[in-house]
Amino acid sequence: MEAKNILRELARGRMITNITVAAIILALLTIGIGSLYSETLSYYRETLSTFMMLFSVVLGLNIILGYTGYVSFGHAVFFGIGGYTAMVLMYYYGVNVYLAMIIAALAAMAAAQAIGFIVLRLRGAYFAIATIAVLEAFRVIVSNVEYLGGSEGLQLEASYYTGYSIAGYRGQMSVHYIAYFLLLGTVTLGLLLNLYVSRSQFGAGLRAIREDEDAAEAIGINTWKFKTLAYVLSSITPALAGAIIAWKRNIVLPEEFFSLTLSIESIISVMLGGAGTVLGTVTGTAIYHTVKTIFLTSFPSLHLIIFGITIAFIAEVLPMGIIGWLRLMSTRLRFLLE
Amino acid sequence: MASRAILWIAIAVVVIAIIGGLAWYLSRETAQETAQTPQALQPTGEKEGCVIKIGFTTSLTGKLQKESAEQLNGIKLWADEVNSKGGIKLPDGRKCTVKLVYYDDESKSARVQELYQKLITDDKVDYLISPYSSGLTAAAAAVTDGYHKVMIATGAASDSIFTKGYQYVYQLYTPASRYMTSAVDLLLELDQSNKKVALLFENSKFAKSVASATKAYLEEKGFQIVYEDYYPPGTTDFATYIAKISASGATALLGGGHFQDGFNLVKQLYSANIKSIKYVAILVAPPEPAFAELGDAAVGVIGPSQWEPGVKYSPEAAKKLGIEWYGPTVDEFVKAYKSKYGKTPGYHAAGGYAAGLVLQYVIEKAGLDTEKAKEILDNLDIMTFWGRIKFYKEADKHGLQIGHSMVLVQWQKTDGKLTKVIVYPEAAAEAKAVYPIPWSK
Repeated sequence: MEAKNILRELARGRMITNITVAAIILALLTIGIGSLYSETLSYYRETLSTFMMLFSVVLGLNIILGYTGYVSFGHAVFFGIGGYTAMVLMYYYGVNVYLAMIIAALAAMAAAQAIGFIVLRLRGAYFAIATIAVLEAFRVIVSNVEYLGGSEGLQLEASYYTGYSIAGYRGQMSVHYIAYFLLLGTVTLGLLLNLYVSRSQFGAGLRAIREDEDAAEAIGINTWKFKTLAYVLSSITPALAGAIIAWKRNIVLPEEFFSLTLSIESIISVMLGGAGTVLGTVTGTAIYHTVKTIFLTSFPSLHLIIFGITIAFIAEVLPMGIIGWLRLMSTRLRFLLE
Repeated sequence: MASRAILWIAIAVVVIAIIGGLAWYLSRETAQETAQTPQALQPTGEKEGCVIKIGFTTSLTGKLQKESAEQLNGIKLWADEVNSKGGIKLPDGRKCTVKLVYYDDESKSARVQELYQKLITDDKVDYLISPYSSGLTAAAAAVTDGYHKVMIATGAASDSIFTKGYQYVYQLYTPASRYMTSAVDLLLELDQSNKKVALLFENSKFAKSVASATKAYLEEKGFQIVYEDYYPPGTTDFATYIAKISASGATALLGGGHFQDGFNLVKQLYSANIKSIKYVAILVAPPEPAFAELGDAAVGVIGPSQWEPGVKYSPEAAKKLGIEWYGPTVDEFVKAYKSKYGKTPGYHAAGGYAAGLVLQYVIEKAGLDTEKAKEILDNLDIMTFWGRIKFYKEADKHGLQIGHSMVLVQWQKTDGKLTKVIVYPEAAAEAKAVYPIPWSK
């Protein structure tokens, strides 16, 4: 293909991505607003809240795993740091959720800087193992610190929620609605971050690190700075989601907030959709979450078996992920699917 | 490459189809089981039939699977019995059958919130029962209380859920703060001079709250706590803890958390052969029948239990207290459970059945009117096979269980056979407690 054509296709691809992303956000917004007025949408609101919780972690993870090629196996650590930071602020100081989530995100970024200083020196499997170790360490430490509630966790009083209201819903009733919109905001931010990484020179640098870190260094990329920044960026949306979920669920528990399962679910979602693609994150998470929800409610006793087979099937047939596979199908799609 | 992919797709499609078909077949059968045809069973002359939906989640997968399955068995038995009698009679004269609507929560609170929302707004259930465990119930309450839906909490012993200001959640279990206190009372009764206590509990939400309440109670009673530690969940090797306990000079040990760790702790304690320890009380594990696998190591070990098949609650006992008796007797329940599931019920199963029973009582009095149901529950004081049921009704600890009490069981050897007997309180006791624990002799 000629260079001119390639540029045209790339521009078209970006347009498609923009429209898709905008459509997703708009659809989620419509459902959220709709659920304020129609009770039948409440269950979808809750399902989508869980979806967006996972999606927030996935969007963060995609930056470090997808674009930079560092398999962060314990990415839920930032979800936990966000959740616990916010909960401490709300529980001990009565801070409202909006301020708490911003501070939670800043705390997670600082933590990412510190953790990254150690673990980003490692590559490949060693990095993955180190991130699991960090997650486990956090879980054990948190379950032994009295101030953080230890293994009993911290739980907010019902009266804490009296100040909140939305569209006529007050107190505890308004929480699930407000949390939905906050999660939507987080997801939007995550998508924008991913788009930025995907299109910027910074992102190109990250891809170079993914393909060959030594070569990237040789052509003058400050790999240390790049990957640290990627790691810090990847901690923002998980931390925001953690803070919102802590507030929504009214309780934080070490095993639920520093959870290896959540880490693995987000890795599966990224891989399923196609690591290092914007559309892949949406596709992967949506399919994973939908399939899981359907199996869970329709075949309560068999869902894990069906689910296991599905995952084995995908890993065997589509190791590149769905979007990754489509991109391999033709050069045209390669440029069109961002 | 392509042919391989096609082969895989074909295999996957076939397997999924088989499993899907199987699942459909199984779920069809259970649906029939729970929603029995009302017309066929109803005596003639009744008003038009209806269906009351009871919703809850259960942990079919995940770490709480074992206990949760028992609880589900109890709830199912209750529903079947109600439906086989044609249903529950409402105050307005209608007779309604019960339909259980439940989903798998994977032992996770994210799922719990999502599914309780679905139960309330999508399935439009009339009354709710909690999931198993305190952590999951806390998450469920945050959703259900806002909708003013009555939820009977069974399998949730934590006190903290009931200090958060919820108005529609009611606890059936004796709360964690009173879990081990009777074990302390028994020790005082047995031996006034045994004052050096070691505490070794699991570092989990439930065990930790039991531990802190027990500690306060021990101090109040003038005990000396010579050792205190918390082991991480999933611990299998207790050697270092046992060595420290031995060195501390303790003469009694209180501890445990869940089944497996309690089981291992006792096993290793027995083989360590510490002669100084005369009294051992362990959470959760001893009441389970599987505890008998320990053989000689189990002899003399005390455990608190919410309920046992040998408890002595009866209509006469209720009469003595001047309160109403409701539902089947202990023997009737045990017999029905045995004939349906082929095994003796544990307290998780009994708790599930009791949750249904309380709802049945409430529905008979209040029908489907939630506010009226709340009023009845607030003023409830009845005795059932589960024991006395009475809830704290002031706002600060609304819904906390204050009527029910624990019993203590001990494994004893009679005629060379291991048996589990109730040893405390005296009124319910089947035998005298063995003291000191045989291995210390």
